Amino acid sequence: MESKKNTGFWFLVFAVLLAVLFLTNLWYGSVLISWQEVWAALTNSSETAKTAQVIVQEYRLPQAVTALAVGMALGVAGLLLQTLFRNPLAGPSVLGISSGASLGVALVVLLGGAFNLQWPESLKIMGELSVVLMAFAGSLLVLGVILFVSGRIANIVTVLIIGIMIGYAVSAVVGVLQYFSRSTELHAYVIWGLGSFSNTNTDQSTFLLIATLLGILFSLLFMRQLNALLLGDNYARSLGVNTKQIQFILILVAGFLIALATAFTGPIAFVGLAVPHLARSFYRTSNHRILLPAVILMGGVLTLLCNLIAKLPGYDISLPINAVTSIIGAPIVVWVIVKRGRIKMK
Amino acid sequence: MITPLLQIKNLSTGYFPKKRESKVLHQALNMDLAAGELVCILGPNGAGKSTLLRTLLGFQKSLKGETYYSGRSLKELSVQEMAKIVSVVLTDRIDDSFLTVYEVVATGRYPYGSFTGSLKDSDKEIVQNAIQQLGIENFSSQLFSTLSDGEKQKTMIARAIAQETPLIFLDEPAAFIDSPSKVSLMEILINLAHEHKKGILLTTHDMEPALRFADKLWLLGINGEFEEGEPQKLIEDGSINRFFDNEEVVFNKDKVRFEKSNI
Repeated sequence: MESKKNTGFWFLVFAVLLAVLFLTNLWYGSVLISWQEVWAALTNSSETAKTAQVIVQEYRLPQAVTALAVGMALGVAGLLLQTLFRNPLAGPSVLGISSGASLGVALVVLLGGAFNLQWPESLKIMGELSVVLMAFAGSLLVLGVILFVSGRIANIVTVLIIGIMIGYAVSAVVGVLQYFSRSTELHAYVIWGLGSFSNTNTDQSTFLLIATLLGILFSLLFMRQLNALLLGDNYARSLGVNTKQIQFILILVAGFLIALATAFTGPIAFVGLAVPHLARSFYRTSNHRILLPAVILMGGVLTLLCNLIAKLPGYDISLPINAVTSIIGAPIVVWVIVKRGRIKMK
Repeated sequence: MITPLLQIKNLSTGYFPKKRESKVLHQALNMDLAAGELVCILGPNGAGKSTLLRTLLGFQKSLKGETYYSGRSLKELSVQEMAKIVSVVLTDRIDDSFLTVYEVVATGRYPYGSFTGSLKDSDKEIVQNAIQQLGIENFSSQLFSTLSDGEKQKTMIARAIAQETPLIFLDEPAAFIDSPSKVSLMEILINLAHEHKKGILLTTHDMEPALRFADKLWLLGINGEFEEGEPQKLIEDGSINRFFDNEEVVFNKDKVRFEKSNI
């Protein structure tokens, strides 16, 4: 059995990897910037050439912070959902929350065009606050419905199925909106759906990071209940866990984190599903006292890595994030699972 | 006069299928369980043994009546308080792949610990003692999922012991275990009752160990019949025959076993 030393080792590895990837994301990009310039920009030294400083501070730093925040948020949300539903295939998409966000964005982007509505100018622009707000609102709407259902229905599997069905229903509505849209709006919507860490400015990325950290810190309060849930609802209850309450709280926290991430970056595929499995396989444990910190680190590592890879083609071309997370992520997960450990959850 | 650990007063068990009248399994049940007693809830499959257990635990609502734990009504006890009164061993499967035996037993300490679930030294000692009591030290760092059914059952009992509750409820604990292990299991439970003064309540449809080891039996019949008493008395007064004889098999009082019917 892997010992505590093993755990410490991996925490060190991923912490270092996280720092390295973060800095590399600041350094690497379509414009060549030296390490000294990066450092100078970070420390706000006025000796830097203006352009480099602006690029790092106004563009790459928010991008890296956004990627970091979203990685952490989705990693934690994925873990909470997989434990809550006792299902290894559970992930952020399962609650239909990203679909809710898509609906919100579709209403702004597609509807305005489809019916030639005169939204006020301020609302129409892609990537602006309006999209974020509508995405968040859409997510919260679906989250509200799921929480309502969860309060009424004891069987968690039923809640899971209802969440998935709501996701489908909402996507169907979006499909109708897409059908009646003009190609420019359609294109803008599709681009949003491919995910991007670059649509946030400094203020927004800072807000995202802080809100994410708050959500994550809150989830840390429930380590013991999460561990108890691993034994099943009946045993958990016999250990003093209020199963209905914890169900509500976990859906709320996971939903909040997903809504937050999706609002600023669009739906990011795969991270929430994969990171908990990766964490379990590397640390060979199901104990949430280890897994929660682990997914926080590894989520950030995964998204920062994907962001870096997305920039690799260089110049002005960068790949859409969802393509990278899926193409890179899927083989990694398969390799890790096959080599290092089984996934056998009920 | 010490208040019994468990008192059941005028309890009706059953369930409420939607849009239909409630289905009553047993009514007007009145029993007690005292510290140091091992009681078996005995009855054929479908009689409502598990339902009774779940109702006593509060996992299911009773149709009528009250349950008291050391004088306190179940309705007033919170889930957290119940966790320090009754621990359970169920037939639920645990399928998580990375939990070790030690970790499973350690969950028994959760009602007493911090929100992180980490164990104090005193907790670790209790867990270790429970593991030793069941004789499973040799695989305490093994993955729970790799154990045989009998070893898993011992682990779950150790877990219940680690929870340090005055009462332990077990649902069909001997169901998946071979005969020699059944006896060994009952010996452990008897020890917990008689030596450690816990109240042990278990359901089983397995007659012979129950008749041999239980201090008291609660007989549940398929049609709502109920009888309680010491095994010897229930054998002699024909209750066992009444509840369990059928066309194929009858209970032989003298030989204390079931035999093929001569009818």
